[in-house]
Amino acid sequence: MPEMPEEYVKRLPKSEELNAMTEQSLRAAFAGESQAAEKYVVFAAQAEEEDLPNIAKLFAAISFAETRHARNHWRVLGGIRKTADNLQTAFAGESFEIDEMYPAYAEIAKLQANKEASRSIRYALKAEMDHKRMYAEAREAALQGKDIADQPVSVCTICGHTVIGGLPDKCPVCAAAKEYYRTF
Amino acid sequence: MAEPFMTTPPKPERLGAMTEENLKAAFAGESQASQKYLAFAARAAQEGYPNVARLFTAVAFAESAHARNHLNVMGGIGSTAENLKAAFGGESFEISEMYPAYSAVAKMQGNAEAVTSIRYALAAEKDHQGIYEATGKKVDGAADLDATPIRVCPVCGHTIVGEAPDECPLCGTAGRLFHSF
Repeated sequence: MPEMPEEYVKRLPKSEELNAMTEQSLRAAFAGESQAAEKYVVFAAQAEEEDLPNIAKLFAAISFAETRHARNHWRVLGGIRKTADNLQTAFAGESFEIDEMYPAYAEIAKLQANKEASRSIRYALKAEMDHKRMYAEAREAALQGKDIADQPVSVCTICGHTVIGGLPDKCPVCAAAKEYYRTF
Repeated sequence: MAEPFMTTPPKPERLGAMTEENLKAAFAGESQASQKYLAFAARAAQEGYPNVARLFTAVAFAESAHARNHLNVMGGIGSTAENLKAAFGGESFEISEMYPAYSAVAKMQGNAEAVTSIRYALAAEKDHQGIYEATGKKVDGAADLDATPIRVCPVCGHTIVGEAPDECPLCGTAGRLFHSF
């Protein structure tokens, strides 16, 4: 993890009491910066494939800049709290996606016979179930002031399947070989 | 349901309008989740939870994979020349429309920290617009950029091609703290 020296933290915009319209603006800006950051990561991978490594580097750098803006807006919105609270926020977000959002989207994609969309939705829904469980366990630990165990966390680069501990031979969701996993 | 031998991300397809709308919303949701988790990871590291920080970082990466899959199904990934044009278009909208409007509202409402956060972003988007425009011209001529390092201020996102300044001209952060790509 990158460290956060004090001379750096003191320059960051801080959480403040926001008026409703400014809050709405910052929420939209946070959404925009987050999506730009993701697009640029994908564009970097595309540039790599086209053998344009320096353009890939440019997209990666600007993606990083957009993550700084997203973080700043999110700080001002008061979105960054104590870790136990952040784990609760994360858990609630995953729960909404699992209980409401993705099942509704999956139903419509199926109705409209959009197979690739169905696959993209199913991959996400499956992984969010892993995340929800992991966040619940981590929150229990953090509420007691404890960290979780020091075990590798691995993510399938195709579908996002997330596993703590040993890797499966094949991804149980998309069948990618274990070489496709990235370990943190 | 098993899908043996299916080891590539979902592909672009012709989408029903409602499904396209949903994938757009899902892309927005995954992108924001990923950024929240990265910010939560930094906070967990500060609080002395290195393994929770690692979990947040890993899950942020998983959400990025979902965002990429949704974007790809929507046909949002073009050639690099097209991607540079799309990136230039996005930055231009933020510079000419979005941030000036948000800034005016935040100033009117006296929300000083919001004004700062918006000012940092707007200034950096101008850097990006210029760099994307110059780069787009090179790619249209089928050339890569040269290998000059790109430096980014970790506080405000100020972006320059070449050496970092002693101090960020926008927010005053020391140049030695800039990230190099």
